[in-house]
Formats: sequence, structure tokens, C-alpha cells
Amino acid sequence: MSAPIRVRVRMYQVGFGDCFLVSIEYDGALEDGRTERHILIDFGTSRPPRDGMAGGRMADVAALIEKHTGGVLDVLVVTHRHRDHLRGFEVDAAAEIMRRLAPRLVVRSWTEDPELSATADGPGLAASPADPPNGLSRASVRYAALLAQTQARAAKLTGLVGLDDEVRAAAEDQLENAEAVALLDELSRDRRGRYVHAGMESGIEDVVPGVRATVLGPPTVDQDPRVAKQREEDSEYWLTALDASLRVIGSAADAGADAAAPASHGPGPVHWLIDRLANQRSHSVARLVRDLDDALNNTSIILLLEVEGLSMLFPGDAQIENWRHTLERLPDEPQLRRRLAAIDLYKVGHHGSRNATPRSLHVLWKGRTADLPRLTAMVSTRQGVHGMDDGAVPKPQLIAALREVGDLYSTDELGDEEWIELEADAARGPFRLVPLVRPGP
Amino acid sequence: MTDGIEFAEPADEPRTHVTLRLVAQDPTVSGDDGRILTARVKVPWSRMEDGPRGARLHVVDYDTATGRYIKHAPLGKEDLYADAADDVLRTDPTFHAQHVYATAARTLALFETALGRRLPWGFRSHQLFLVPHAFAEANAYYSFEDRALLFGYVPPPDPGGDTIYTCLSHDVVVHETTHAVLDGLRSRFLEPSLPDQAAFHEGFADIVALLSVFSMRTVIEQALGKPDRSGRIPRSRVRPEALQKSMLARVAEQIGSVLTQGRGALRESALRPPPSDWAKQTAFLEPHRRGEVLVAIAFDLLIGIWVKRLDALFSGPNANAEGARGITVDRARAAEEGAKAATQLLTMLVRGLDYLPPVEFDFGDLLNAVLLADNEVVPDDDLGYRTLLHDRFTRAGIQRSTARVTDVLKSELPPHYLGINFAGLRSDRDEVFRFLWQNARRLDVDTEYYTVIESVLPTQRIGPDGLIVPESIATYVQMAEMTAREFTEQSGLELSRVIDPRTPVQLFGGGTLIFDQFGRLKLHIHKPLDDWRRQQRRLDHLAATGHLDAKQRLGFSSGAARGQTFAELHRTEQSSGEEW
Repeated sequence: MSAPIRVRVRMYQVGFGDCFLVSIEYDGALEDGRTERHILIDFGTSRPPRDGMAGGRMADVAALIEKHTGGVLDVLVVTHRHRDHLRGFEVDAAAEIMRRLAPRLVVRSWTEDPELSATADGPGLAASPADPPNGLSRASVRYAALLAQTQARAAKLTGLVGLDDEVRAAAEDQLENAEAVALLDELSRDRRGRYVHAGMESGIEDVVPGVRATVLGPPTVDQDPRVAKQREEDSEYWLTALDASLRVIGSAADAGADAAAPASHGPGPVHWLIDRLANQRSHSVARLVRDLDDALNNTSIILLLEVEGLSMLFPGDAQIENWRHTLERLPDEPQLRRRLAAIDLYKVGHHGSRNATPRSLHVLWKGRTADLPRLTAMVSTRQGVHGMDDGAVPKPQLIAALREVGDLYSTDELGDEEWIELEADAARGPFRLVPLVRPGP
Repeated sequence: MTDGIEFAEPADEPRTHVTLRLVAQDPTVSGDDGRILTARVKVPWSRMEDGPRGARLHVVDYDTATGRYIKHAPLGKEDLYADAADDVLRTDPTFHAQHVYATAARTLALFETALGRRLPWGFRSHQLFLVPHAFAEANAYYSFEDRALLFGYVPPPDPGGDTIYTCLSHDVVVHETTHAVLDGLRSRFLEPSLPDQAAFHEGFADIVALLSVFSMRTVIEQALGKPDRSGRIPRSRVRPEALQKSMLARVAEQIGSVLTQGRGALRESALRPPPSDWAKQTAFLEPHRRGEVLVAIAFDLLIGIWVKRLDALFSGPNANAEGARGITVDRARAAEEGAKAATQLLTMLVRGLDYLPPVEFDFGDLLNAVLLADNEVVPDDDLGYRTLLHDRFTRAGIQRSTARVTDVLKSELPPHYLGINFAGLRSDRDEVFRFLWQNARRLDVDTEYYTVIESVLPTQRIGPDGLIVPESIATYVQMAEMTAREFTEQSGLELSRVIDPRTPVQLFGGGTLIFDQFGRLKLHIHKPLDDWRRQQRRLDHLAATGHLDAKQRLGFSSGAARGQTFAELHRTEQSSGEEW
């Protein structure tokens, strides 16, 4: 039986987005004669690495992946359905390559299961539902359906007249990416798709020998009712409310409310206020869109991969609400706490935003004993795309704090290199940077 | 009418107050008769224009989501909704406009009455805009830039369903109005600070909302439960534990239920005592959660005062107390005492506001201020309210204030008044500055730092002999700018390692000066700028919670560009303590 000897992690330059290839090399041939296994985690972008760069880069990245995997992809993990994580599947040339790579296992969040829509009995959806898959409850199913419906509404906002550019861009980030999802559904056919929630078997172990894959998130509504409630009030309320808000704003867009000649409000203070309130509309839409953004981020798979003496944490864009499910287990599960404290590689959550790397995790890493190999963090991000000041992505304080506890590699520091490659012995970390050898002339 | 003078207003128009019907909590709470629980309250009245628009408040019913604008008629002396059906109250935008106007007006009046003067808004206008249907979103907040309170509404899941309006929730409107009033009183409380200061805005707004709800008798009556045929309820229902429980369950749990993501309102959890180690928990760094510590104290105090007042209703309260079965109390009377207790406590707390330092607030300052103010008005404390207050704050683990309070009249080195104009000390910032300058050493104010008088306000209160006592309250602020390295050199204190030594930092200090009716300085409430330990805690806290500004500076005044402070504040809670 062959055992893993080395692990290689490549972070591709996709601009603002995530695309990671985890390759495990073995000391001998596996049953199919190959000596390696490949796990691709996300394949998306929402902004190119630099302004003015062509959007077609994802095809180039796909070609690189094909080369790096030797044409066979074992596992595809799509953490959640934001376009900075799956946009590549929409690009024709890239999609073609993905079909060729034909992953044996496609892992997505429980909210993405196409069977859910058949079992949903939520508002406006088909009656007489069948039993939901994976032991999910109706509440979970409804939540997923509502999330999809809300996402569709948000798409409408992009057509709203007079909206602030930044807010419009934020709304565009919520677009449904229907083509990408269709391709993923296609790749998931013949029982290759797996829709996971916290604690569920991912199936990765069966395809990649010697790996222990632990799904820490996302929790379902049954596992953590706060997912749907967001707060203590009756379930689904906030998402229903969000959906309804978007409907009202969206239908105002349909009616072209802004196109009509503005009514005169006289020269007095009313005029002054109504002029100013245009900003408040943008703020309001921005908040609603951000709520949806948060909700979708929180459907992210949090994956802990352990290979022999190495461990890697890939949390997608999971925010605190998703993490909370795991964090609350830590006081009672010293074993899990040790495993999280001792990781060798951390894929920085949500491109380095302020609320995706829980401080309590950082506290664990700060308290690492000296005998542990140095922690390595990788962040795929681009400055100046999202947020300012407190909401800046990546958040400088977080980046500084990560540098305090380990080595940090960021796509933001790349020149024209197309990826960053790290490797480590399977027996023990740390990960080392593999210098990029440029092809000769 | 003769030639010459023409009176624009008809003589029979109401001059000071009108009585209007308000939704007592929110439209989901119903009374004995199954209809929406409402209360008739006296609302201050001024000459009215379309909007409605009065001297201090201006309703602008503009919906940013749909572009709809409705200009409502002025409020008249007759309440058009005195007998309106529930459906009308729920859906008629004109009632919504009246409701938001009346609730805000009542709240402002409450502050003005307690402080004995008119209160300015925090912006340069006399009229605060009220926008009852501002956006299709479960949110409501005070927008400083727009000089407005914005109230959202939540459309129903199905287009045919019922919309939920935040402007119909009494506590939401009071909470937001309080933000606006506080901003006018202590504009620096929004500066980057230690966590208590940010928590104060939320906590105090919640307290005013809570006590305002309780000051309506109908609400308490409902919460006390159904009476017997003669309108009486068993005494067991008004025992402290029973009151605590029923008021929590039947009043507080309803409060704030309309806002989900936005926390413009009180949550039921606020009224439960905080864990004893709250000050050490990161969750309590979040302003709302931290503010709830104050709310829990206020609720506890309310029950305490109410119980004291109820005692008088029982003849021989100690006689056979254990076997007091069968003893009943009139529900309306018991409720009235509760409403009075709420009003009394609210007045007591609001009166303290003038005695707060203008910057660098901590929770202990509130206790100090309320005790000082109450001592002026009720020197005897024969009902033991001050003891109660002190007890409840200490029990909640609130530390002593870091402010230095000096009873100047008793100090060994009294200030000089030579060349100071008595009348100027009541109204003129420059005159007060001159006073401060002359007496800087005696008041221990280091004028090496930039120093500015921020406000000088005359105030009046009723003295213990029942006569009116005119006083004046002035606040001054000090600021210093340096780098983190210079801070360490100056103070001899090390800052957290996450602060780069080159980081520019801004420090605040200041004080409140209370002059008596002779223009003599009576009290000095001082937050010295050179309290380096406090400054160190503040900078470390701001760095740890990621408050560097866009220019990578720490602790700098956000000035007038406070942006969406409140809109954001009402949303941040969920990831409490885990964010960067």
C-alpha cells in the first residue's frame, strides 16, 4: 500500500477569487497506476489581477491545472456559489478543460443539492414534496430554497437606475452564475456529487488514500438554528424579510421609478432632504446585498485536510456565523482544539476580510508550542476591490496578525507569476516556497 | 376684528399640548379587548405646518425604495385617530406620520423637562427630520448627516400580506430619538473610545425606550394580568420576583421584535442580569451587548422603586406578611405606581446627563453623575433611591469612574474670578475659556494641550426648597496629537506590540464645569488628558479592535464625517468579539 510522501499546494493568480490545487504525492503507484492525487478547491474570480486584464484568464488557469494534474482531477471542492469561487466554470474554454478533467468526486455545500428544489415546500415552490436527502429537515430545505430565491432577486438590483457604482458591483457579485452551476451539476451526475454539512463524510478519503478530510462547516439549519434565524426571532424571518425588501426595491426598478420626472418638492428643507436620501437608498441596498453576501458566504464548506503529519485548513469564505458552530465545540473537545491549533497551512478565509478568521483561532495559533513547525498562511485577494477603512479587504490588522504567527503568501504580492507553489513533506511541516522556474527561451 | 392687528392663529387653537393616541408598544401587542394596545398621551404642541412640521420636528414621508412622497396635513387639536380601527392604525400612512411625530415629541419633552432647558440637536438645524417609511428594510437609525431619524419597513413575504412598520414601534422611535438627543448633548461620545463610551449611546437609548414603554399605564396593566370583577389583582402578582418575571415575559419580550438584523431596539436579553465576569468577556466589547449591562441595572432599579412605591398601597405592609393570602390590590393603582416609578427613574437618569464628562465616558461616570445631580435636587434621599442606585451599579460590577470630581466650593484653593463677567459664565464660550485659562493651575488643567470650550448652557432646576435655581453647565475638551513612540516617551508606558511606533495617535481629555446661581464654579468633573493609564488602555483597545483609520492613524476624531455610524452600529452585533 502506497503512502503519501509529499503535499504540494498551488495558489493560482485569479485576481479577486480563490483557486487552490492540493496535490498529494505517494511513494509508489496507487491502484490506477498513478502516484499522485489532486484536489481542486474553487475556481473563480470576480476581478482580474490587474485592471484592464482580459477576463479570459480563467481558461489559462484551467490549462495550468490540466498540466499540473496530468489531466486527471480526483476531487473538485466548490466551497460556495459566489462567482469569485466558481466563475471559471462559466468560461467556455475553461469549462471544456474541466469536463476533460472529469473529477471523480464533486463536493459542494448542502445548500447546493439540486434534489433540494424537488423537496422544497417553501413559498412559491412545488407542493407535495418528497423526503429531503441527507437527512435534512424541511427547515433546512426551505432555507436553501429561500436563499436561491433571494439571490435571484438581488440580480435584479443590478438594473436599478441611479445606484452607486460600488453598490451595483456588490449586487453583481451576488448574480446566480447559472451556467457555472449547470456545469457543476453536470460534473456531479452519476452519483459523483456530494453535498456536505458539518460532520458529514465528504467521500474524499475514498478517492485520495491516506487523507483524513473533516467537514467543519457549514452547519445545517438543524445543526445550528441560528443559521436561519440569524437571531432569536422566529425562524427564516430575516431571510424572508430580506427577500421581500429586495422584491419591493426590485419592482420599483421595473416600474422605472427613477426614470420618471422627479416631483417638485419646493425650495424648502424637504427638497434638501429628499436629495440627500438618494444616498440612503444606496446605503440600504448595500446593506441588503451585504446580508445576502454574508448568508451565501456562510454556506461555505470548511474543510480540514490531514495527511500523515500535515494538516491544512480551507474555510472558503466562511464567516463567524458559520465558524461559530465549530468554535463552540472547542471548550469541550480538546482534541479538536489541538488539531486546529497545530495546522500547518491556513487558507485565509474570505480573502482576508475582517470577519472570516475568528480571533479565537488566531489565539490558538499564537499559543502554539515551539516544537510545532511554523504556520503558513495563503491568501488569494486583491487590495482596493472591496471595502474601505474598517471594512477593507484584506484587513491590514488581520494580515499583520497572521504575519505575527506565521509566514504569509499573498497573490497581491505576485508580479506576473501565474501561481504560488508551496510544498511540504507529508511526515511533517513546515510548507516551503517552491521557487518558480521560468521556462527557458 | 378691527383694523390693524390681525391674529394669524385662531384663538381656540391648542397652545401647549394635544392629547394623541399612540400605539403603546407595537401593533402586535393587544389589550384586554383584543385590539391593538394604545395609550392616550399628552404631546407638546407648536404651530404646525404640512408634514406635519412643528418647531423641533419635521415629518417627511418619503420612501427611498419606491420614490413615494406624501405630504401630510398638520396635526390639529383633535386626534383624528382617537377611535380608529386597528386596520387604520396599521396601514394609514397619515397615522404613521402622526405616531412618529408624537412619540419623538414626547421623548424630546421628557429630556427637556428633566434638564430644565431646551436641548439642541447635534447638527446646525432646529428641526429633526422624521422619515417614517424611509426604506424597505428591517432597520431604523439616526443619520447625523441627514439630520434625520430614518425608519424602515418590512414588506410581507407575499405581496398581499401585512407590512411591518418600525415607525409604529414605540420603543424603536424612542430609541432613535434618544440617539439624536444624546448626540446634541455629548457630541464627542461618538469618538473612537474605550468600549463603555460606544456602549453608552446604545444602552441609554434602550433605557429610555424601556422606561418610556413602562411609563404608559396601559402597558403595565396588561402585563399585570387580568383583574377580578372589581378590578383587583392578588398581592402575589406584585411581589418583586413576580413583577420581575411578568414584566420580562409580557412587556420586554415584545419589545424590539420588529427589528431583526438592525438592532435599533431593546432585546429581552438586555434585562437579564449580565454574567458576573461580563467585563472580561470579549462578547461584551460589542456596544449593544455592553450597553445591555446598563439596561439590566435600569430594569432592576425600576422594579426596586416600584416595589417601594407599592408598599404604601398596603395597610400595614408588615402585618402578617407571610399569610397575606387573599390580599388584593387595585390593578390600575398598582400600574399607576409602576408608571410613576418609570417616569421618576427616567427623570433621575436624564438629569444626570449634564454631570457627565464631555469625553472619555465610562460606566462609573453615569453612576457618579446621577448621584451628583440627584443630590442637588433631593438632598435627603429619604426614599433611599440613591442607596438603591449605588447598590445596583456595584452589584453589576461597575468600576468607579476614572473622572476626578472636585467639589470646588470646598477646595482649598478656590478659583479666581477677577476680571470675569458673571453673565458671561452663563452664555459666552470665550468668557468661560478666560475663566479656565486664569484658573488652569488651580483646576489642574494642563493648557499645554489644545483646549476648547465646547458648550455653555444655562439650566434651571427646582431646588429642595421648591424654588427655581439657575445654574450653568460648560464643557471643555482637550486634544493632543503625537506618535505612538512619543506617547511611550511622554508617559513611560508601553503600548501593545501591534501598534507601530510611528502610528499617529490622538488623545482626548476634558471636563464639565458646573457654575451655581452666583456664577461660582461648584463642580469640576475632569477626565485629565494626561491620565496616561487610561490613554494606554484606550489606544491598546482601539488597536486590538482594528480601529486604525484610512490614514493608518489611531484614535483620531471622526469629526463630522461620522458616516453611517449608527446604521452600522445596529448591525455589528453578530460576530461580536471575533472580528478584526
